[in-house]
Amino acid sequence: MTARGSASDSGAGSRSRMADWGEGENLLNEDPHFPSPTGASGGKMWAICDPTRLPHRIIVLFFMCFLGFGSYFCYDNPAALQTQVIQDMKLSTAWFMELYAWYSWPNVVLCFVGGFLLDRVFGIRWGTVIFSLFVLLGQIIFACGALFNYFWLMAVGRFVFGIGGESLAVAQNTYAVNWFKGKELNLVFGLQLSMARLGSTANMNIMGSIYDKIEIARNSTGPVTLGIVLMIAATTCLLSLICALVLGCLDRRAEKILNKAEGKTGEVIKLKDVKNFPLELWLIFIICVGYYVAIFPFIGLGQVFFIEKFDFSPTEARLINSIVYIISAPASPVLGFLVDKTGKHVLWVMCAVVLTLTAHIMLAFTFWNPWIAMSVLGVSYSLLACALWPMVAFVVPEYQLGTAYGFMQSIQNLGLALISMAAGSILDSRGYLFLEVFFCACICIALIGVVLLYFVDNLKGGDLNLSASGWTRRLKSSSPQSE
Amino acid sequence: MTGPAHTVQFCALVSLLFISRCYGLFSGDGYRRNVSMELNPGLNGSVAPPPGVGLIHVRAVGSGDTLHVLLSNLGAPALLLAHTNSSSSSLRVDWPAFLSGQASGSVKVEPEGSVQFSGAAVFTRLWEYDDANDTADPEHQPASSFFPPYELQNFSWEDLNKSVNVAEHTATLCGADRSDTFTNGSFCLAFAAFESEGRGQAWPKLLHSANSSQIQMWLEGVTPRSNHSRFALELQAVSSGELRQKVDVIKSIDDEYTPSIFKLSQWASSPTNTSSRVLGYTQWKPVAYLKANPVTEDSTPCRNSEPTPQGQLPPSGLVKAFFTEEYKASGLNMSFGISGNPFYGTSEYLSWTVLLGVGSPPLESFSPLVIAIMAVGLGTPLVLILFGGIYICIRKATHQPDGYRPIN
Repeated sequence: MTARGSASDSGAGSRSRMADWGEGENLLNEDPHFPSPTGASGGKMWAICDPTRLPHRIIVLFFMCFLGFGSYFCYDNPAALQTQVIQDMKLSTAWFMELYAWYSWPNVVLCFVGGFLLDRVFGIRWGTVIFSLFVLLGQIIFACGALFNYFWLMAVGRFVFGIGGESLAVAQNTYAVNWFKGKELNLVFGLQLSMARLGSTANMNIMGSIYDKIEIARNSTGPVTLGIVLMIAATTCLLSLICALVLGCLDRRAEKILNKAEGKTGEVIKLKDVKNFPLELWLIFIICVGYYVAIFPFIGLGQVFFIEKFDFSPTEARLINSIVYIISAPASPVLGFLVDKTGKHVLWVMCAVVLTLTAHIMLAFTFWNPWIAMSVLGVSYSLLACALWPMVAFVVPEYQLGTAYGFMQSIQNLGLALISMAAGSILDSRGYLFLEVFFCACICIALIGVVLLYFVDNLKGGDLNLSASGWTRRLKSSSPQSE
Repeated sequence: MTGPAHTVQFCALVSLLFISRCYGLFSGDGYRRNVSMELNPGLNGSVAPPPGVGLIHVRAVGSGDTLHVLLSNLGAPALLLAHTNSSSSSLRVDWPAFLSGQASGSVKVEPEGSVQFSGAAVFTRLWEYDDANDTADPEHQPASSFFPPYELQNFSWEDLNKSVNVAEHTATLCGADRSDTFTNGSFCLAFAAFESEGRGQAWPKLLHSANSSQIQMWLEGVTPRSNHSRFALELQAVSSGELRQKVDVIKSIDDEYTPSIFKLSQWASSPTNTSSRVLGYTQWKPVAYLKANPVTEDSTPCRNSEPTPQGQLPPSGLVKAFFTEEYKASGLNMSFGISGNPFYGTSEYLSWTVLLGVGSPPLESFSPLVIAIMAVGLGTPLVLILFGGIYICIRKATHQPDGYRPIN
C-alpha cells in the first residue's frame, strides 16, 4: 500500500484487483451443499457467533476497521504537532520532513514484497499481527526518540512504523476480500476508507490539545512532553494490535468451522514484466507521482503555513489541514459512483489535476480564504483517487496487475520520500511561495502526463476515455467474436 | 519523438524569453545613482571629534537630483536622508559648532532651497525588561520589570576609520555601554548605501533602490540582567514632512526572500496637505534573527508600538544640527520576540534590519525563477493540448474512417 492517504486510494485499485480476480477458494460459501456449520456441541450456533451470518461479519468488520486506525492516526502525528516537534526537538523544517521521508523509504521495497510476505511467509493472520507489531513498535521507538531527545531514534521509529503501516493496509484489504467478497465488499471498502479518514482527521484535531494538556500537567514543553504525547498516541496502535489478534482468532475459528483456506493477497509480482509495461502505464505512474507529492508533503507542512500566511490560530490551522481528509470521507463514494457511471476516466483525472492546480495556485498567489482552496483540494483529491487507480486495470493484462500496482506504489513512495526532503529544504531556504510554486510545478508535470495520456490513448483508440455506455457497447460487440 | 520534444523545448524557450522581457518592463525602476562616500567631510586639524565618533557622508547623484545620506554617532546614532532637486548640491559642515553639540544649522545641504525632503531615524534607547510571565509584550509589562535603559547617546564607539568601506559604500558602527554587562557585548549598526536596485545578501533581504539606505542593527554578547530578559529598541523619526500616525502593514504573498514572513511594515512621511503621496519612508520586515547566520527557526517576530509624537528632537548631534525649523518628530518602540520564543540569554544575539528611503518605496515583484517555473509549467500543457489537438484533427481529416466494416 502506498502512503497513508493513498493507501485507501489504492484500495480502489486493490478492489478491482481482488474483486475481479476470482480466487480459487470460494471463501464463505453459502452453497446449500456446504456442510452446515456446527458448534462444538453440535447444536445450532447463535447468529453472532456464526461466521456465515451477517451479525458475526459485522463484529469482524468492526475489528477490521479498527485494525488500520492506529497507523492512520499516527502517520500524521508530525503534521499535527509540527510546531511542537520543531521547537522541542530544535529541528529545521528540512529535518522535520525527514520524518515523512523515513516512513516512505521502506515502502519503496515493501510494495513488491509485502504481498509475498503475507501469502507465502507469514500467512495473513500472523502477517497482520506482525505488521501491527511493527506499527506499535515503530510508534513507541518514535516516542522514545522524543522522550530521550534523540532525533535519529525518532527517524528509526518512523522507518519501523513505515515497514508495518503500508503492509498492514494490504492485509486489511485481504481480510476484507476474504470475508466479504461477493457480499458487502464495496461497502466494506468504503467503510474502511472512512475509518482511515476518521483516524487522520482525529489525529489532526486531537493531538494538539493532548499536547496542551500534558504541557499544563508538566508545566513545561520540551522533548519529554512531546514523548509522552506520542506515547499516548501509541495506544491507538496497541488497539490496532489487539484488533489484529482478535481478527486472527476469529479467522482461524472460521477456517476450522467452515473448513476454508486462509486469505491471500493474490499479488504476483514479476519484475520482468516491467519492460513490457505500455506507455500509458508509465504516463499513469508520472501522474501518480506528480500528483501525490504535491498533496502529502503539503499536508505535512500545512499547519504552520496556515498560521503564518493566513494568521490562523493553531486549532483552526489543524482543522483546515485535515479538511482534505474530512471531505474525502463522504466524497469518495459519491465520486466513485459518478466515475463508474460515466466512464471517461482520463477526463476525470484531468479535471482533478486541473482543480488541484487551481487550488495550489490560489494558496500560492492569493490571500483568499484558504477554506475555498482546501475544499477544492479535498474534492479533487478524492476524484483523482477514484479515477486514477482503476485506470491501471484498463492498460495492463490481468496477470500483470499485481506488478503494475506494486510498481506504482513503489515509485510513489520513492517520489514522496525525495520530495518530502526537498520540500523541507525549499521551505527553509526560499519560503512558502516558492514551495507552493514547486508543488504547482509537480502538478503541472502530472497535468502534462494526463494530456499526453489522453492523446496517446486517443491515437491508439484506447479504452481509457470511453464512456460507461461505450464500454458496454464494446463489450457487446466483442463478445460475438469470441464465441 | 524528436519532433514534439523540440517543440516543447522551443516553446519553453519562447515563453521564458517573453517573460524575461516583461519582467524587465515592469520590475524595478532601474534608477542608478553615482555614489561617493566620505568620512568626516571638511574636517581639518583645528578640532577633533571624540574617539570613535564621526560623520559619514554619502553623496548619491542621479540625473537632476542628489540624495545626501548622513550617518553620525555624535550623540545617539542617526541616519539622515536629504533629497535635493539639484545634481550639484553639496554638504557644508561647521565642524567646531557641530562638535559642540549645540549649534543648530551647523550641518547644511546647499543650496538650501534645493532640499525637497529630509528625514532621519535615530536609535535612541535600548530597553531591557524581565519577561517573567513570557508575554513578550513590553507595552503591558509593569514598570518594575524594566531595567534602566541603555542610552545610546552615552555609548563609547569603536574606531570608525577601520569599518568604513568607501568603495562598497558601507560602514559599521559598533559601540558599548560603559557598564559591566557590555564587557563582552556590543551594539552594532551596519550601514549600506546603494547605487541601484537590489537586495541585501542576508535575511531579511529587503528590497532597496538607489533612493534608499539600509541599517542592520545587532546586539551581541550582552549579559542579560535577568534570566527572562527581552530587549526592545526605541526608534525616533524626524521628518520635514508629516509623519504618519501609524505604521502601515503591507501584506505580501511573496516570502521568497524572507521565508515565512508575509508582511512588510512601513512608516511613511507625506506632504502636510495630502497623505496619498509618500515623501520618505522607514521600512522593515517584522522579523528579527537570533543567530548571526540564521536558519528559518532562528527568526523571531518583532512588534512596534504605535508612534507617539515627540515635542523635541532626539538626542542626536546630527539631527539637532540639521533640523532647524519645521520638522515633525515621533517615536516608537520595537520589541523583539514572541511568547514562547527563547529569551535573549539563550543565544545572546539579536539582529534587525531597517531601510530608509525617499520617494515612493520600491515595488516588490516575483523573482524571475518563480515566473519562469509557472510559465513553463502552465505553458507546456497548453502547448501540448494545442499541437496535439491540431495533430489529431489533421489525422482524422486525412485518415477517412472505414465507412463499412466487414461483417463477422
